[in-house]
Amino acid sequence: MPITIIAPRPSRPINDPEDVVSDMSYDSEDESTDGGADLEGDIPMKSSGTSRSRGPRLFSKTDSDIVTPGELITSDPQFMRGHGTYLSHSQLQQGGDDNGPQAAIISSVAGTLTRTNKLLSVRPLRARYAPEVGDLVVGRITEVQARRWRVDVGAAQLASLPLSAINLPGGILRKRTETDELQIRTFFAEGDLLVAEVQQLFGDGGAVLHTRSLRYGKLRNGVFVAVAGMGGSEGGGVVRSRRQVWTMETAHGGGPVDVILGVNGYVWISKHVETATSGEAEAKTGITNMEEGVSATMYSSQNDRIGVETMREIARLRGVVTALVENGLRVDEDMVTRGYHEAVEMALVSADGVDDIYLGGEKGQQLAATLTGR
Amino acid sequence: MASAQHVLLSPAELAYLHSSLSLTPPIRPDGRTPTQFRPLVAETGILPGTNGSARICFADGTEAIVGVKAEVEKTRSRHDDETVFVEGAGDDGEEEETDDITRTGESDWIELTVEIPGLRDDDSATAFLAAMLSEALLADGGLVKRLWINRRFHWKLYLDIILISPPLSYPLPLLSLTTHLALLSTRLPRLKSEGDEDPFFDDDWAAAPYLYPRQQTATPTAKSAPRSPATRPPITLLVMAVANNILFDPSKEELAVADAALAVSVTSSTRSDENDDGDGDDSMDVKEKKGRNLRLLSIRTVDPPSRLTPPGVANSSNAAYGVAGNGNGKATEGRTAVAEGEAVVEGVWRAPRGGAKRAVMAALVQKALERGGVVDEVFDALEGVELG
Repeated sequence: MPITIIAPRPSRPINDPEDVVSDMSYDSEDESTDGGADLEGDIPMKSSGTSRSRGPRLFSKTDSDIVTPGELITSDPQFMRGHGTYLSHSQLQQGGDDNGPQAAIISSVAGTLTRTNKLLSVRPLRARYAPEVGDLVVGRITEVQARRWRVDVGAAQLASLPLSAINLPGGILRKRTETDELQIRTFFAEGDLLVAEVQQLFGDGGAVLHTRSLRYGKLRNGVFVAVAGMGGSEGGGVVRSRRQVWTMETAHGGGPVDVILGVNGYVWISKHVETATSGEAEAKTGITNMEEGVSATMYSSQNDRIGVETMREIARLRGVVTALVENGLRVDEDMVTRGYHEAVEMALVSADGVDDIYLGGEKGQQLAATLTGR
Repeated sequence: MASAQHVLLSPAELAYLHSSLSLTPPIRPDGRTPTQFRPLVAETGILPGTNGSARICFADGTEAIVGVKAEVEKTRSRHDDETVFVEGAGDDGEEEETDDITRTGESDWIELTVEIPGLRDDDSATAFLAAMLSEALLADGGLVKRLWINRRFHWKLYLDIILISPPLSYPLPLLSLTTHLALLSTRLPRLKSEGDEDPFFDDDWAAAPYLYPRQQTATPTAKSAPRSPATRPPITLLVMAVANNILFDPSKEELAVADAALAVSVTSSTRSDENDDGDGDDSMDVKEKKGRNLRLLSIRTVDPPSRLTPPGVANSSNAAYGVAGNGNGKATEGRTAVAEGEAVVEGVWRAPRGGAKRAVMAALVQKALERGGVVDEVFDALEGVELG
């Protein structure tokens, strides 16, 4: 069947009550990074919201309704404005309400209204990645400047990677020289993919990255896929979790495969390469030796020889990630691993056998249904 | 023609993609088979103010809307009327199948505008897309022939093709498929007047015949309604080749490593019996027992973005490679190796050079025109879309 044409579906109601319940049941445990605020809107507001709130907006709409930028949420003074909203005085005068100077809460993004006690916030339907210090991100070099690179990490602004924040070849203790500045493109050139960590944030939300670790650096031997990351919170995407990077053993002789889930939603799946660290360098002892051994391959853009089986399993893993996102599921180690094993099982029973790696459309839905147990 | 916008991929990614697509069978990054299309969402009749409209949404998020408007226009009379109205005996072999009066139309009866967000109207990419789409529509003159109302009047079709998402991938196939659907759903008011008098139409929209009659309901309605065989509007598909593999519906990443890419315009006539007695035109006819007659209308080579990609650096010539181990000796040694001649190193990306091989081009066209093959199924699937 070379082509499938699907009739358009009516758009799925956002915050489908069933979805919210099932998603939240496992989401809420490890969401400690939200600083205690409830970003998911899982507090049942359906009953309390209608009975207590007096704002015109809250009365007329249920919590699952979408508000658009500039839309009046409420003019009731008892509420506080949260994320995605702003206070406006002009809105009221327009309405002809003369109860004195009173501020109205207006939505500044398109999204779903969330109420936490007296705090009103709007959760955007889609948003760009908002970097936080310590995030592991996958980025792509878009610009090379005199002493730094500009990196696309899917955020509102390009992140910057200073030359001083990378591991220079020849050991971690080496000083940055003018020669390094001149041959800056030998480390990273435009288009190169890298995995890095957010080191610092500017006031305007711009991020500074660093790759000063053996785990970070240029990426090769694999495929890239961009999905929704933290920020575009409705539906699926990569979420912050304990492990963003892991190596998994694949089926059908695929060998070990590395998966890097950037918090920004950029995912890298590659063949696992045994670095010198685990091999001879470790025997030689010494931290510096280890650094040197690794940095030899650190800026290589030459792929190793990759077997057909490995490529097939990498493509299968990529399919799993896209299927998870397409069906609104979160992407983390547990889901990807389970999804992968499920996909292997599905391929075994399919007509084409293990070569069947396509996980789009209906097969993706089937996979998602099995994973969620629905 | 020049291809879509520049894609930024790292040399390592390109090398990986190219080697996985060169395998037999190829492993595409999204796991599709070589002939498989990405699933798409399609609907017709979305714009109430048009004669026909369609919307198609590709899985990668690109979406296009096409609206067709028809307008009555007085046919310019010529001094030598006979060239416009060729009665009965068509000199063109293909036209003999219509027992009606065979008349050719003029290509300016179809006005086609393409709008791509972020690109100017007179941008070369937009202009090329419009040219390729209208070329396919006008190539066999089948569409304009349907636009006669009577001897003095004809319909003028305005096709507005709008891409409503940013052009994430090369939008030609998307626009072409949407145009196809819109034309399939196009209906023209039923003619009430007779002969060559000023046209007068039926108010009843439900009675309006389709511009391209459906097979089952191909009833001879009004005199003006074309009763030619159930041909279908042309579609233009993007086909690409990597090594010896031929891939349909390439994604942006796949196109970035293509050795050759072709935009192939194909039309079909479902009637398989009385066709092509004399091949007056140079279009290729493929005859077999089952399936539809696919006719090649035009081929355009698309310059794949792969030619503009930066080459990878082999480890042997990488100044930043292996410095730790044995000083700078390796780096200098590598540089001389590059100067001598750029040997192909496995795992290092090299942009394809030179034109596509003739055998590959022939295979691409052959594959596209295969009876009962991919294109055939695309036509079937598009016909299966419910006309709303």
